[in-house]
Amino acid sequence: MKKLLLSLYAAITVALLSWGFYQAIYVAPADDRLGGQGELYRIIFYHVPSAMVAFLFFAISLAGSIGYLRFRRTRDAWAQIADAWALAGAEVGVVFCTVVLITGPLWGRRAWGIWWTWDARLTTTLVLWLIYVSYLLLRRFAAGPQVQTLAAVLGIFGALDVPIVYMSNRWWRMQHPAPVFGGDADSGFKDPRMLHAFGWNILAWLAWGLLILVVRYYVERRSQKAAAQDMQDALNA
Amino acid sequence: MKKLALGLIFALPIALLGWACSLVLFAPPEPPFDWMSRMSVADHNALVALLDHQYLVAAYAVTWAIQLGYLAWLGLRWQGQKRAAASPARQ
Repeated sequence: MKKLLLSLYAAITVALLSWGFYQAIYVAPADDRLGGQGELYRIIFYHVPSAMVAFLFFAISLAGSIGYLRFRRTRDAWAQIADAWALAGAEVGVVFCTVVLITGPLWGRRAWGIWWTWDARLTTTLVLWLIYVSYLLLRRFAAGPQVQTLAAVLGIFGALDVPIVYMSNRWWRMQHPAPVFGGDADSGFKDPRMLHAFGWNILAWLAWGLLILVVRYYVERRSQKAAAQDMQDALNA
Repeated sequence: MKKLALGLIFALPIALLGWACSLVLFAPPEPPFDWMSRMSVADHNALVALLDHQYLVAAYAVTWAIQLGYLAWLGLRWQGQKRAAASPARQ
């Protein structure tokens, strides 16, 4: 039953991604205004939803980290579940953040003529990515009973950068374009078909992200259970 | 059959990444600053449209390369865990 539900959800996700791609490439018109970006602006349909999903997953990692610290001494089973969500959220968040940090410069190279600039939005996003990569490296290479606690603390501090990234192009108007929603008069989509394509791609990438987040969570839970079993076997031997 | 499927799962993200890199590395040079004295407006617009298209395709391809690559890595870990759980040492 679980397998069937997962397969059904995966099929819906693939359909959503295909529909989102169709909307982004074939339905949304080119930005043909004077000084517009032509076809190039379509990168936004993958770039911004990836950033949104990354933020959401870093929030899940934050909740998991807080949950781990809250329950580590009282309810070990709950603490392990929270820790698995924290790790899954951080890892899948890093995957989406990597997409943001690669598609952004590809757009910037054509729109600005440069791959990278130390703009507030770009710099804070890079710092966010580096914090969570260090979180994953800590989980991968450190050993000992304190690793989960240290990682949870780092996960909480990492998540503090998310609101800074979100607000950066509102607080400091530099080179990065204004936000799609709630920006100045020039920002946002000028054609409703662009907005529809954007909405479909947010939905599609969110569905995809949740799918791989759940798979990553189950992989982590299985490895936790295997480690606990190994420890029990060693004690029994 | 299983090996072929596994090979394809890993080959696809690598191929997409290679495609994205080739689109960016072998893109035609950008129009010069003084393009008006060197080419017609139609030629300039065609060149800009081609460059935009190549970078757009590269961005989409690299996105899929990262996502599918991660999914393949997850699948491999899942399979490894299943194999380890079924091994006689564990039982």
